[in-house]
Amino acid sequence: MPKNNPYRPVETEVLDVITETPTIKTLKLKPKEEINFKTGQFIELTVPGVGEAPFTPSSRPAIKDMIEVTIMRVGKVTEKAHVLKKGDTVGLRGPFGNGYPLESFFGKEVLVVGGGCGFAPIRSLMYEFFEHSGDFKSLFFRGGCKTPNDFLYKEETVEWSKRDDINVVLTVDEGNVAWKGKVGLVTTILDDVKMEFKIGIAVVCGPPIMMKFATSKLLDMGFKTTNIYLSMEKNMSCGIGKCGHCRIGPYYVCKDGPVFQYEKIKNFHDIWE
Amino acid sequence: MLFITNNNLLNLLENIHDQYEIFVPVKKEQTLFYTKYSPPMNIIEKNQTPDQDTIVVGEVRAFEPLKLFYTRARECVAEGFKTDIPRRNPKPFCIVGAKSCDLKGFQVQDFVFKEGEFEDPFYVRERENNLIISADCTCAIDTCFCLALNEKPYPENNFDLNLSQVTGGFIVEDGSEKGKVLINNNSQLFSDPMEKTIAERDALRKKVTDAVKKNIKEHGIPLQDQFNGIIRENYESNIWKDEAQTCVECGACNTICPTCHCFLLYDQMSEKRMERLRVWDSCMIKDFAKVAAGVNPRELLWMRLRNRFEKKFDFFPQLAGIYACTGCGRCISACPAKIDIREVLQRLVKDAQKQPV
Repeated sequence: MPKNNPYRPVETEVLDVITETPTIKTLKLKPKEEINFKTGQFIELTVPGVGEAPFTPSSRPAIKDMIEVTIMRVGKVTEKAHVLKKGDTVGLRGPFGNGYPLESFFGKEVLVVGGGCGFAPIRSLMYEFFEHSGDFKSLFFRGGCKTPNDFLYKEETVEWSKRDDINVVLTVDEGNVAWKGKVGLVTTILDDVKMEFKIGIAVVCGPPIMMKFATSKLLDMGFKTTNIYLSMEKNMSCGIGKCGHCRIGPYYVCKDGPVFQYEKIKNFHDIWE
Repeated sequence: MLFITNNNLLNLLENIHDQYEIFVPVKKEQTLFYTKYSPPMNIIEKNQTPDQDTIVVGEVRAFEPLKLFYTRARECVAEGFKTDIPRRNPKPFCIVGAKSCDLKGFQVQDFVFKEGEFEDPFYVRERENNLIISADCTCAIDTCFCLALNEKPYPENNFDLNLSQVTGGFIVEDGSEKGKVLINNNSQLFSDPMEKTIAERDALRKKVTDAVKKNIKEHGIPLQDQFNGIIRENYESNIWKDEAQTCVECGACNTICPTCHCFLLYDQMSEKRMERLRVWDSCMIKDFAKVAAGVNPRELLWMRLRNRFEKKFDFFPQLAGIYACTGCGRCISACPAKIDIREVLQRLVKDAQKQPV
């Protein structure tokens, strides 16, 4: 009898539900069996009887007994995930995929570009950055959202901008009276990043259209295709490279990604769709 | 190499009936279908008209692809959070009369479900415990083109036992340790084949090979040596739009294909228990690759047709070193729109040759 069933979710308790924006919530989850993830890897969240959907945890990988998952309400599963309450039971499978090659970033200048719900994996990555703060030459974060109300982790991003080991600039597509920051797409706030682009690392995570334009801008700035890391979003269902839904060229995003060097996928024409 | 009479083959099946759930091909009208072995059954003799109890070991591949025994069209793969693996059939399968193209199908399915960091425990369990008694094709039908995929119409490996039908019985070869043990445990049922019996088999093999060659010639089917790069060279070609014109998006080509493996995980509540089902899926269906936020990388039908060919003739050769087509011709017969994989391959090869190098 095989020991492991990769389709079985681990019983998980909802510890808390945080409303981030009108369409985004963060679930604090406690799986009954330890799930050790690397930043950038993803899990499959089961809403019992409804279905599964893939999410990259937004929490600190070093915390072993709790995983946070930030969920935008967009479909059948996320709709039901948004009505979950403290004490409810869900399921988790994973972790799956490769995650960020954190150690290969050590000693380098790193620019992180995030948009909208892409802040979720980035927050997890930031925790790792801050834990290894001295290991980077410099860190930059450029983040954008539609409106000031759409920002995830508002308090934490304020904390980040106060740190002296990272340079943070945020922008919105559309401001309001209270917004004192930049207005414009995230691609318009990259020019003041002071680093040696030819050897720098860029990490991009956000909606496909934002990743497309950000990548194009980063290439113009001089980043190498091998130094741009993208978090790809495809229809990852099984998570184990079997069900066939998330293929890009010779890769399955669930197994060979979700983090890809742009160099690896640049020739496949449907990557942004 | 050994010989077994028709009667002794039935005795052999009887001897292993306790141990295995045996499936045998029987003929309905012009087509073979698998049915559960339930004695009394007989083995087809020359010039006999088969009935529902006649096991037709030879002829060609059955209607069904063998994958359906290993990944059911719909099956439970997890119950709630329970750690044990849902049970299926109590006995392992013995498949009688699997053809060379069926065995190639296994090679692709094995790669998908056994290789990599995670294996599929359901598939692996069935495959490890099964007994494959394959058989030579004793004829070819119009849609057979295995030779184009470098497969002969008679199995040479990937079986436990192989049967070559000859007058009065079969020539038997073992292809695995399991096959050897089976022969040893039933040695009284086997004898040494006569020279002329071997000659009969060789002549029949040549006859069937020639029939498939004739198919390939008549339909102008390219050989797989010419497949290298046919997808990339033709990525932006009009062939896809052209061929997809009549497609009705039924997914029959996927369902009937022995190498197609894609599935959907589907959760439902059954008696207040969560049940996770694995259901065959089809990459020709519109929402196959669509993500929850609504983006669909293959919005149009011709993109999905291209994707189907890309998976078979670019993805699998790159990753597994194998073209994910067996030349069985099932998709040709199944397609209500008459999309013919032989013609698509012919066009792809022809146009790829036109491209400047």
